[in-house]
Amino acid sequence: MIDYSALLYDPIYDVLGVPATLTAGASEVELTVIDETRPKTETSSGVQASSVGPGVYVRMPEFAAKGIAAGEWDGALLTFNGRSWIVRKGDVLGSPNGEDLGEVRLSLMEASGG
Amino acid sequence: MVDVREDILARLLVVVATIPNMRSAYRNNVEIAENQMPAVIVLDGDEESDGASDVSMKRSHRPYNVQMTPGIVVQVQDANAALGSIITTFRRELIKRILTDTELNEQIVKTGTFGNGAIRYLGCQTDVGWTRTGYAALTAQFLFKYTLQPTQL
Repeated sequence: MIDYSALLYDPIYDVLGVPATLTAGASEVELTVIDETRPKTETSSGVQASSVGPGVYVRMPEFAAKGIAAGEWDGALLTFNGRSWIVRKGDVLGSPNGEDLGEVRLSLMEASGG
Repeated sequence: MVDVREDILARLLVVVATIPNMRSAYRNNVEIAENQMPAVIVLDGDEESDGASDVSMKRSHRPYNVQMTPGIVVQVQDANAALGSIITTFRRELIKRILTDTELNEQIVKTGTFGNGAIRYLGCQTDVGWTRTGYAALTAQFLFKYTLQPTQL
């Protein structure tokens, strides 16, 4: 079986990952995230409103190593690349080696945007 | 030349642009950036006349009764928890200003006891979503009934 963590995620996060701080309740942990902020469009009655949908990828093994269980990221404060965000939700993406060795995509909102 | 349809739509834009805390107002702009919200957009409306149901032999350039239903879209990007009250406030201002604007009612559409036009609020629809904060939109429809005078066009 191919080890996707060693052959795929390790080199990708080495190149694209940036340091981040996640504050969930009383715990504060250091993580490596990949900024996945993308343009986002909402359409109402044919009128498009363009903005961005902020998000990051984080590896599930890193969450486990730091003692953050699935779901504990909801409402946490995430700081990276000079900005702070609130985690709205996390979607587990899985991997060929199972979801515990895959990634989670955290959807974010502005820290003042709740 | 008197083009009541154009007069209504042009005045509508002026009226909705006066809504407090509205950052921008447009007519038929269908691509709004986040730095332009809250935005209100007047969309030129569909129009129907009584021509199809008129079985009289009146001359073709005699007056028609016309009903136009322009759409008005309000788009907001703000804190998710505040969106409901924000969009409700914009709805209230929208209805109040359009239905009570003197120029629109008494000079252009000519509503009232001695006029032959009418303005009606038909209803609204809402959308919500997520961007970098919360997003909400409200689309309101109004009916403008007026007399089309082909000889004055």
